Amino acid sequence: MDRPRPRIFGIPNRYFVLLFLILGFFAARIFPPVLPHIQVAPEVVTIINLPIVGMFGWTNTMTAMVVADVIMLFIAFAVRRAVRSGSLVPTGFSGAIEAVIEVLYNMTESTAGKWAKKIFPWFGAITVFVLIVNWTELIPGVDTVGRIEIARTHGNPVEEVLGNVYTLLPAEDNGEGGHEEDMFTLIPYVRTLSTDLNFTVALALISVTMTQIYGFQALGPGYFSKYMNVKALLNFFKNPMGIIDFGVGLLEIVSEISKILSFSFRLFGNIFAGTVLLFVIGTLVPVFAPTIFYLLEVFVGLIQAFVFGILTMVFMSQAMAGHGDH
Amino acid sequence: MEAGAAKLIGAGIAMLGTIGAGLGIGILVSGAVQGIARNPDASGDVQTNMILGIAFAEAVAIYCLVVALLIIFVG
Repeated sequence: MDRPRPRIFGIPNRYFVLLFLILGFFAARIFPPVLPHIQVAPEVVTIINLPIVGMFGWTNTMTAMVVADVIMLFIAFAVRRAVRSGSLVPTGFSGAIEAVIEVLYNMTESTAGKWAKKIFPWFGAITVFVLIVNWTELIPGVDTVGRIEIARTHGNPVEEVLGNVYTLLPAEDNGEGGHEEDMFTLIPYVRTLSTDLNFTVALALISVTMTQIYGFQALGPGYFSKYMNVKALLNFFKNPMGIIDFGVGLLEIVSEISKILSFSFRLFGNIFAGTVLLFVIGTLVPVFAPTIFYLLEVFVGLIQAFVFGILTMVFMSQAMAGHGDH
Repeated sequence: MEAGAAKLIGAGIAMLGTIGAGLGIGILVSGAVQGIARNPDASGDVQTNMILGIAFAEAVAIYCLVVALLIIFVG
């Protein structure tokens, strides 16, 4: 009982927690949450007229991408300032980042060996960026603050809160098809970037393409004998089973394509399902239950970012090592 | 049967595929925990490979989830 309690403005933190709990309970009564319109494709926020491309729809996931880029640049410049200051042991935030980098680099070294310096930038960058992008979905305001638009399918009536700020009301359960013109829906300004298939497929394509390029750099043209095993074909007369080895080589191409699909859908599926889960739980039980699912989402976001990075690293090191066992 | 009901039933059946993922992850973690019990010094390596394996096994369950979500929200 002698430790100083954490305080804000002289009041212990625990009273703020209690205040927010009570406020949340009453807020859920006054403004009941509404299930938003969920769709797989990201929603277009504004349309920009570009010179060559023409009409370009800026989606809400692109705003999240800019936010994640800005956060990443902040981290980079903070660490750079700490490194430039000359002290051998960085403390505070830079110390935490250094610990993360050290853990990741040790993993890279133990798996890749001599190619660790080439592979580690991809591992580290993918892990940290996807981690920031995944954790953006937990910030209050993401997926909830947005623009009200006329709904095309189902919608909810709106109520004016103050000034120009509106909120959606839960839809009344009447079976009439009338009053379709004053049904509205919410287009969020920011939506988690990993729920955009464009992002996950692009990152998966980059990862798999760079794996092939690094394999070619490390092993030379002999790298492609993994796919087109002409040696087994040429040895056909000595070993008739070589035809199967050639077939296995062609199957490796299919396996690479399935890696692209698996990378992109693993990240997309986990994070999209997480946002849908948060929406649904937030609508059904708005008061205490979302906390548990937030914890789950923190964990899932961390694991998925780490898994994307470490699979990239393992595939790259396997490609550069080649067939050591034949 | 109308399309809305068929969608919901289809999504429910699609999620049955997660049985395989649950079994797979259980077998995988059982092997990893036994490995750590035999050789506690190798626990770092074993743990890293276990997380890798869990990611692969979980990805199959996520494919099922994606199909279910596509059935409900896009189909």
